[in-house]
Amino acid sequence: MITAASRRWQCQTCSDIYDEARGLPEYGIAPGTRFEDLPDDWVCPLCGTSKSDFALLAG
Amino acid sequence: MTRPLIPTELIAPAFNPATFGKRGEVHELFRRLRRDYPLAVAEVPGFDPHWIVTKHADLREITRQDKLFLNSVRSKTLASQVAEQLMRDYSGGSPHIFRTLVHMDEPEHAAYRQVTQAEFMPQSLEKLDGQIRAAARRHIERMASMDGTCDFATDIAFVYPLEIILDIIGVPAQDHARMLQLTQWLFSYADPDLCRPGANTTDPAEIIKTWDIVYREFKEYYSGVIQDRRTCPRADIATLIANGKVNGCSMEERAMISYFVIASTAGHDTTAATTASAMWVLAEQPELLARLKAKPDLIPGFVEESIRWATPVQQFVRSAAEDYTLHGQRIAQGDLLYLSYVSANRDEEVFDDPYTFMPERSPNKHIALGYGGHVCLGQHLARREMRMLWEELIPRLGSVEMAGEGRMSESEFVCGPKSVPIRYRMSKA
Repeated sequence: MITAASRRWQCQTCSDIYDEARGLPEYGIAPGTRFEDLPDDWVCPLCGTSKSDFALLAG
Repeated sequence: MTRPLIPTELIAPAFNPATFGKRGEVHELFRRLRRDYPLAVAEVPGFDPHWIVTKHADLREITRQDKLFLNSVRSKTLASQVAEQLMRDYSGGSPHIFRTLVHMDEPEHAAYRQVTQAEFMPQSLEKLDGQIRAAARRHIERMASMDGTCDFATDIAFVYPLEIILDIIGVPAQDHARMLQLTQWLFSYADPDLCRPGANTTDPAEIIKTWDIVYREFKEYYSGVIQDRRTCPRADIATLIANGKVNGCSMEERAMISYFVIASTAGHDTTAATTASAMWVLAEQPELLARLKAKPDLIPGFVEESIRWATPVQQFVRSAAEDYTLHGQRIAQGDLLYLSYVSANRDEEVFDDPYTFMPERSPNKHIALGYGGHVCLGQHLARREMRMLWEELIPRLGSVEMAGEGRMSESEFVCGPKSVPIRYRMSKA
């Protein structure tokens, strides 16, 4: 079951994973930050892919 | 608008493989370019003019726009006019000997990438953790069994990632040494120690002669593998490539062979170069080993910084699909752009104290593995391999120092240490 706390999103270009529980503290994104609360102009830190090209990972 | 020109005597060394064997000179050259000619044109005799792109922001801007900055229509790496013509002659009109993912544009690139992409996702790699950890332990144990000296580049760094990727592809162990040799011919065609025997490194056409030989050697080897995997599919990458469909059709032959080539070469060589570079740093900075031993959670940062530090891929070339304004300069349709990754990853505007190795650097915004749609397919595997190797080695490494002079390969394309002689003490497992 997917819960708000366990959601992970995957970049469809480079396969990097944005884990809401971990956030990206090195980029100023606090643990627990929900994907939809990331800025619209946020991009994948590894490859620059747009936020819209991330997909929710099941499980 | 007048195009800024880099004095030929300043930029010419960047077109010479031998320069890249001297890291101090390479970094000084690009430091000067970033300061005085951050985006300017090189007109070196024998080569078409190239914009030399040195700034991190400019490389990211270019590599994020694959439709504007193309990979397939001109040589993907720095090539003389003679070399590019030879590639067209050998390949039947293409400006490339190889047709790997690196050499493709969209939508073809994405279609080919999809054939193996799922296998290199983090969640897929988890199932390999046991295999990678076991290989790391075995190689570290081998190092412990030596007499306290080794050439870390050739004894450990070259063979550990080689074994892992070739196992994943499905290449039997008895063929691994041959794959390493072909990799070195391909990436170090001009290095006097690593080049193809008989290569004339003073001949400007040598690179293409060697690459054509390498292509044919790989074709001969993998044709049998392709046949085998079509008849008897297995759970390996070779089976995926041999049976891979692109838009419902089998892959074009040169593209299929090249898929095997890139997996069998880039799939280990850059990891090897990065690992050897990291050991070189450790052997020269005893306090760094102490820091890592005291704080093992620094190891992922150590890996990331070693990737930035090594930046094995020195350059790729793109061509502009249309006029574009970059960094205040007008790039014209058809212009060639030389993207210097080694420069971008020492850019003072992005990296504090860029010439200092800092595993604490966070975020580490290096682009050594690329950026945009062509970012390295195997990057998650590479990080995993390196993290596990250092997790196994650091706790057991009592001390390490250089036991001679480290040496870099002489290559303007993929460049890393070819020798890292060390003296060390290790504890028992």
